[in-house]
Amino acid sequence: MSAPDEDLFRRIRDRVAIVGIGQLPFARDIGRPISDTAVEAIQIALADAGVRAEDVDGMSMLEMEDTHEVSIARRLGVRDLHWWSKISYGGGASCATVMHAAAAVASGLATTVTCHRARNRGSRSSRPWSLERVLVKDDKALHTPWGLIRPVDVIGMWAHRHMHEYGTKREHFGNVAIAARKHAQRNPLAMMRDRPLDMQTYLNARVIGYPLHLYDCCLETDGALACVVTSVERARDLARKPVLVHAVAQASGPNPVHLANYNNTPGMDTTSVFCAKSLWARSELGPADMDCAQIYDAFTPLVIMGLEDYGFCKRGEGGPFTEGGRIELGGALPVLTSGGGLSEAYVHGFNLILEAVRQIRGTSASQVPGCAATLVTGASGVATSALVLRAA
Amino acid sequence: MNPIHPDYPLPDLDDPVMRPFWEGARAGKLMLQREPATGAVHWPPKPLYWKGGGRLEWFAASGRGRVHSYVVAYEPFLPAFRHLLPLVLVLVEVEEGPRLVGYMVNTTPEAMTFGMPVRVVFQPLTAEVTLPVWEPVS
Repeated sequence: MSAPDEDLFRRIRDRVAIVGIGQLPFARDIGRPISDTAVEAIQIALADAGVRAEDVDGMSMLEMEDTHEVSIARRLGVRDLHWWSKISYGGGASCATVMHAAAAVASGLATTVTCHRARNRGSRSSRPWSLERVLVKDDKALHTPWGLIRPVDVIGMWAHRHMHEYGTKREHFGNVAIAARKHAQRNPLAMMRDRPLDMQTYLNARVIGYPLHLYDCCLETDGALACVVTSVERARDLARKPVLVHAVAQASGPNPVHLANYNNTPGMDTTSVFCAKSLWARSELGPADMDCAQIYDAFTPLVIMGLEDYGFCKRGEGGPFTEGGRIELGGALPVLTSGGGLSEAYVHGFNLILEAVRQIRGTSASQVPGCAATLVTGASGVATSALVLRAA
Repeated sequence: MNPIHPDYPLPDLDDPVMRPFWEGARAGKLMLQREPATGAVHWPPKPLYWKGGGRLEWFAASGRGRVHSYVVAYEPFLPAFRHLLPLVLVLVEVEEGPRLVGYMVNTTPEAMTFGMPVRVVFQPLTAEVTLPVWEPVS
C-alpha cells in the first residue's frame, strides 16, 4: 500500500489541468470521415493551448466508432506516442478520457495528452442498433432477441419506473428539454440555436418509445472535439489559464450488464450512483459547491436521475428539482449550459467537457457569473465516468 | 411457427454460459441459476466454474412474476419486430427475484399496469430458438 498522499487521485487533484479545447462546427452531415475530423479538432485544441504537436506523447479516446491513434499521430505530426487509451461504453466513456489522461500525466507515463471524440451520427443509417443482425452474443443476448434494442427503450425502463415510483411527470422531463433548449439558443455552436421549444410543443410531440417522446431524445450529430491535458507545472508556460482537474471517477457498479443493466442492486440504481460515490470521496468539493452541472443527457430522464445520483437532491426528488427555473441560467444550478446532447449536439457527451472548460474560463455563451467549479458526468446505465473541474 | 424475418437478431446458442437458458426455453422451462448453499438466485447467468466451480446450479423457475417496468414501441424500428407493433417491452421481476427483459403477448399497451402479475409463455422462433415471453395472469 502506498502512503495516502501518494494515491493517484490525490496526485491528480488540482495538479493536472485541461489547457486547450477545440472542435469543428457541428453538422448533420460533416462530409468528412472521423479519421480526418478527429485530427483537425485535436490540432485546434493544441493551437488553443499553445502546445506543439511534437510535444504530444499521449492520446485517449473512445472505443466505439473508433479512430486510430497512430494514424492521428502521423497526420498531426506527433513525434512519438508513449501512452494511449481507448475507453468503452459510448457516452459512459467521455469523462474517462480525461481521467485516463490525468492518470497518465500524474503517474509520469505521459506529459501531454490529447483527448478527443469524433463521431458521424447525423445520418439515420449510422445508428448502431439499426445494424443488429442474426446471432447476438454476450450481453446483447439478454435483451436484443426480445426487441429491446433502441437506447430510448433501454432508458425508458428506468424512466417509466421513476415516474411510477416517485410521481415524476412528463412536465419534469420537459423542464430539462426546455432548459437545454434555452441555453442552446444563446450558443452559436448549437444545432438547435434557432429552434425554441415551449412546454405545449414538448408535450404534443410524437411518441418515440412510450413514455419518452421526441424532445426527450438527444440529437444525432456529426462532430469532432478535443481537449489537451497536462500538468499544472507545464501549464504555467502555456497560452491559457489552466482549468484544474479536481476529481475523476469511473464506475461499473455491481453485477453490471452492458445496456440492460437492471440487476445491479435491489433499487435498480444507475451506474452514476457508484460513480458519484467515488467521485465525491476523491473531491474536496461537494454537490453544493458546483456552480453549474453538465449532466449527461442522451434522454431527459437521465438528467433527473443524475441530479439525484450525484447528490443535488434526494432519490425521487429529481423531478420537482427542475421546477421554477432552477436548472436554467440564473437558477440555483444551471444544467447543460451549452444545450447539451439534447440541443447543442450529441457527441457522446464530449461537448459537456468543453462547455465545463468554457464555464471555468468564463467564456460560455451562457456564462454562470464567477463559475469556480463544475461537474461533468457520463451516461447513466452503462459503465460510466465523471469529472469535477475547478478554477485555478 | 411462422417464419421469422431473415434479419431477426437470434441469440448465439453456442455461448456455454447462456446455453442452458436457451435449451430450457426450448423444453418449456424458464431456467435460472442459484447457489445451492444459500439459495441466492443469480441473473444474468455466470459460468459454472465461477469462484472455482460447484457453487451454482441451474433450476426451473416458477415462470411467474410482476411487471417492474415497461415501455411501448409504436413506430417500426427493425423489420424483424414490425409484426409485433405496438410492442410492449417489459421488465419482469420474477418470483425468484431477478428482473428479466421480455415482451408481452395477449395484452394491449392500455391494459398494462405496474406490479401486474404475469406468467411466462414460450414462443418458438426457429427449430432451435424459443423465446420466453410474458402474458397477464387473468
